[in-house]
Amino acid sequence: MLESIIFSILALFLVIGAISMISFKQSVYSAISFLLVMIAMAGMFALLHQSFLFLAQILVSVGAVVTLSLMIITSINIKRDNLPKHRVSPKSIFLSSILILPIILVIFKAISSLDIKFVEVDSSFGTIQSISTTLFSNWVLPFEIVSILLLSALIGSIIISKRRLNL
Amino acid sequence: MTPHHFLYLATILFGIGLLGLTIRKNLFVIYLSIELMLSSVNLILATFSRANNSQDGSIMALLMIAVIASEASIFLAIIVYLYKSTKTIDTETFTNLRNEESI
Repeated sequence: MLESIIFSILALFLVIGAISMISFKQSVYSAISFLLVMIAMAGMFALLHQSFLFLAQILVSVGAVVTLSLMIITSINIKRDNLPKHRVSPKSIFLSSILILPIILVIFKAISSLDIKFVEVDSSFGTIQSISTTLFSNWVLPFEIVSILLLSALIGSIIISKRRLNL
Repeated sequence: MTPHHFLYLATILFGIGLLGLTIRKNLFVIYLSIELMLSSVNLILATFSRANNSQDGSIMALLMIAVIASEASIFLAIIVYLYKSTKTIDTETFTNLRNEESI
């Protein structure tokens, strides 16, 4: 019962944050709504007994990604004139909904035909110890590939930001 | 409470992210929409991991968080570069690949 109430509150935060994220005109407000979405998502992970994922979500998504986005938004200091001029027209929302709704409905139909339910898990599920045991036994190669990906992202962002402007 | 609730919620979030990706012309909102879609996939992975009592989904979600972080760094570097060179973040401006004389 308590879990259902927490789920409802977090779901409300997630949907409201996501809708306000795509509807604000100023980028800073969008980023702050995204912060709300990320924190509520971390709460969802906690509700699913994924304690290490909850920690990683708070540390990386909230602490690094959203903070970096806010820092970039405030440091490049976009003037009001440089924002996109025209508002979003209802026609474009309608056409996009026609494109998106079939995809969502197909996924809904697939989900409703799924026959799964939550099983009782032992207390070590999702803790840092059991996650790291699995990570360093069965998932060593993907882990190393992700480390190479992070290194290449580091080099790539340095090269892009140091490039001379020639547009 | 069943896994279906989590999966429906993640699908709705994915739809909102896709909507933001298609209707907005602000580069930052497009970037945040992509992040939202990636995070909703993360939620699906965590739900299936919990429903099957297997850690593999959690590990995949953990690796996805690293992918999200690297995507953020590259995308923000591109946004800063584009803003420095054109002084705007309107996607209508960036039409270099659309011009027929530049092919």
